[in-house]
Amino acid sequence: MNHFPQAWGRPRDDIYGPYDSSHLHSSLPQSHTQSPAVTGTSVLGVKFKDGVVIAADNLASYGSLARFTDVKRLRTFAGTSVIGFGGDVSDMQYLDRLLQSLDIRENYSSHGHSLNAKNLHTYLAKIFYKRRSDFNPLWNNVLVAGLDDEGKPFLSQADLLGTTFSAPTLATGFGAHLAQPLLRRLVPHDEGSVKDVTREMAIDAVKECMKVLFYRDARSSDRYSIAVVTKEGEIEMKEDEKLEGQSWAFADMIRGYGTQVN
Amino acid sequence: MTSIGTGYDLSNSVFSPDGRNFQVEYAVKAVENGGTCIGIRCKEGVVLAVEKIIVSKLLKPGANKRIATVDRNVGIVTSGLLPDGRHLTSRARDEASSWRRTYKSPIPINALAGRLGGYVQAYTLYSSVRPFGVTAIMGGWDTEGELEVDGQVGTGPTSGGGGKINDHDIGEKISRGGPGLYMIEPSGQYWGYYGAATGKGRQAAKSELEKLDLASPTNNLTLNEAVKEAARIIYVAHEDSKDKEFELEMTWISHEGGPTKGRHEEVPKELFDAAVKAAKKAMPEYDDSDDEQGEEGGDQMQE
Amino acid sequence: MASLMSDTAAHSDALGYSFSKSIPNPTSHSSGPRQHSFYPYTDNGGSTLGITGSTFAILAGDTRSTSGYNINTRHAPKVFRIGADDPSSRIVLSVVGFAADGNALKERLDTIVKMYRYQHGKAMSVKACAQRLSTILYSKRFFPYYVHAILGGMDEDGKGALYSYDPVGSYEREQCRAAGAAASLIMPFLDNQVNYKNQHVPGSGEGHALQQRQVTDLSQDTVQGLVRDAFTSAVERHIEVGDGLQMMIITKEGVQEIFEPLKRD
Repeated sequence: MNHFPQAWGRPRDDIYGPYDSSHLHSSLPQSHTQSPAVTGTSVLGVKFKDGVVIAADNLASYGSLARFTDVKRLRTFAGTSVIGFGGDVSDMQYLDRLLQSLDIRENYSSHGHSLNAKNLHTYLAKIFYKRRSDFNPLWNNVLVAGLDDEGKPFLSQADLLGTTFSAPTLATGFGAHLAQPLLRRLVPHDEGSVKDVTREMAIDAVKECMKVLFYRDARSSDRYSIAVVTKEGEIEMKEDEKLEGQSWAFADMIRGYGTQVN
Repeated sequence: MTSIGTGYDLSNSVFSPDGRNFQVEYAVKAVENGGTCIGIRCKEGVVLAVEKIIVSKLLKPGANKRIATVDRNVGIVTSGLLPDGRHLTSRARDEASSWRRTYKSPIPINALAGRLGGYVQAYTLYSSVRPFGVTAIMGGWDTEGELEVDGQVGTGPTSGGGGKINDHDIGEKISRGGPGLYMIEPSGQYWGYYGAATGKGRQAAKSELEKLDLASPTNNLTLNEAVKEAARIIYVAHEDSKDKEFELEMTWISHEGGPTKGRHEEVPKELFDAAVKAAKKAMPEYDDSDDEQGEEGGDQMQE
Repeated sequence: MASLMSDTAAHSDALGYSFSKSIPNPTSHSSGPRQHSFYPYTDNGGSTLGITGSTFAILAGDTRSTSGYNINTRHAPKVFRIGADDPSSRIVLSVVGFAADGNALKERLDTIVKMYRYQHGKAMSVKACAQRLSTILYSKRFFPYYVHAILGGMDEDGKGALYSYDPVGSYEREQCRAAGAAASLIMPFLDNQVNYKNQHVPGSGEGHALQQRQVTDLSQDTVQGLVRDAFTSAVERHIEVGDGLQMMIITKEGVQEIFEPLKRD
């Protein structure tokens, strides 16, 4: 008996011949997207007492190549909501067009906009879930910022599997690891703390996190977009911001990987 | 004119010996009794207005809209058989969205007019169908800004290969977009207009429109003035059937820098009321009871 | 794990076993096109539990939602009222596992229960709803809803009812059930405290002669206490459980929802 548990009970090649694994690689009748191509990285969102702040950088990467550097990943819908897209850019464009056509149809009746951010989020989540159930996913991770049915600030996430959740601070991708812990300092009591967060606090926290992400996320850029949605339903969108107050002094100290081995 | 008894008026696909399609002419008759619709095209945009005869006191004022939005930047109003008008509007919406699916950009007004003209004309060709009993007035604004591609993510290069052409590159003002006003008739004939009118009061409306001298290159009618003229013209055109009460409905489309930002929208209540007030003032028989009438105008717009 | 696999693969070649070929392992194939195949499921952690008494049923769940080591949100309820537009409805569903499937399942059952009410003019019984839930789950036998569902309500005799399900619709009516990430921690506790398993009458004998402690009817307060204890304990020992406790208490009077804090570490 050999001492590799993984080998126990397996047929030995010298007796039974090598395993014929050809059936494992048989081609499927129809193939769908199995991986994203041109991608955007993290999206950040924070609720404050009168609205929501949302931000994403302007980079679209092709693998490790910084392929497009002026990509607008924050998109406004129905004049009162902003969606921040992470993940595949072509799927983002598809969803953009889909939501635009929805908005056009919504406007046929003359009683004004009726789709709020909550409605959009539900709609998007259902599309994501349908597509994952068809094994033809839309490779995105999105944040939806705006207002809910009662006109209160709304922030929610949806991803390629159709998973949804909502919190006073949200971050997708790398931001879930790096930014979310920093953003949560703003809201020690979750939803109960939102009333104590001002617009300036939220914006500053988001900007700081964008900087942290730029320091550590190799697929990020220092050009970013930031939008503020307020209770009045107004959107203040800035699409060509540059990170301020960068300091790479810390980089000097880093040892253990890269060119400095110790 | 009369075709009674000749047999040439019974089928769509049959010409009369003198080259007429009587079915189409009967369709025009259906339009001639419809509520007056007008469109005014000026430099800053387009105004559409319709005279809605109140056929029953039980109808909710301000409900049952007659001017429809197509895509975001086009409005259509029809006179004649209303269900035919709704179907035509629905077709226009389908055309606009299919254009977007193909070209990833909004349909130009002239292209939409062409599509609708072709569609209406097809209903004059076959014995199995009847022509549309409507004349449609379609107004819109093609953006004067850079044409966006639906879902575009960047702004593209500002100069160099693939860069943008600016006014100073060619030494003259680049002309993009602008207002569009078309009228599509039951025959499928469609023409572009400065001012268009159809329905019962079209003759009076047309002569009023002509007075505005819209075709003149020096014409400087503003959009706000156009709204007031439109309201007044509907009131003038209503003169011949003033035994019937009516409701006024008005929409407009301004340029991107204007009040509607290139979109087709209802004329806001304030401006609407002012236009109605001015229209009544211009009409001798309304003039004496200004205030009361003004209030009535307010009621008309509520949903 | 992957590196461990590829190491053994190298060894096994020498031994004459077809590891590298029989275990599809993308990381060990450095050449050729790499397929990042799409996996339609994820685990959002969390735990649920249900206990019935003679006049009530309690369904509870924590409110944490996770992705790996990340906390998505501290407030994502897993226990839902079904057919709640009808005030006479006494049905509650808890779902734990893949949250997107859980939501889809909840909405589907909710729609069915509402349609039943509209079409038949009476509320669906829990028994019928339980059977229907099973058929819904089984209808996706070959692409399952990746959830452990627990359905609670009041039965036709006015007693608390509880049904627990596996992902493909196998179900059973039970006294109590824990599901989800900390099910293996909570269930033994429930066995002991609700059904008095491994509790004996002192001095009743030795070995097999030992008498089982007689199961008693538990009061609502006792059960609520058990739920609280179960979750505070689970929170200590499982990283995917915490943040908040949601309880739905179903009685003939109605359905009461309670939120309480849990540890957030």
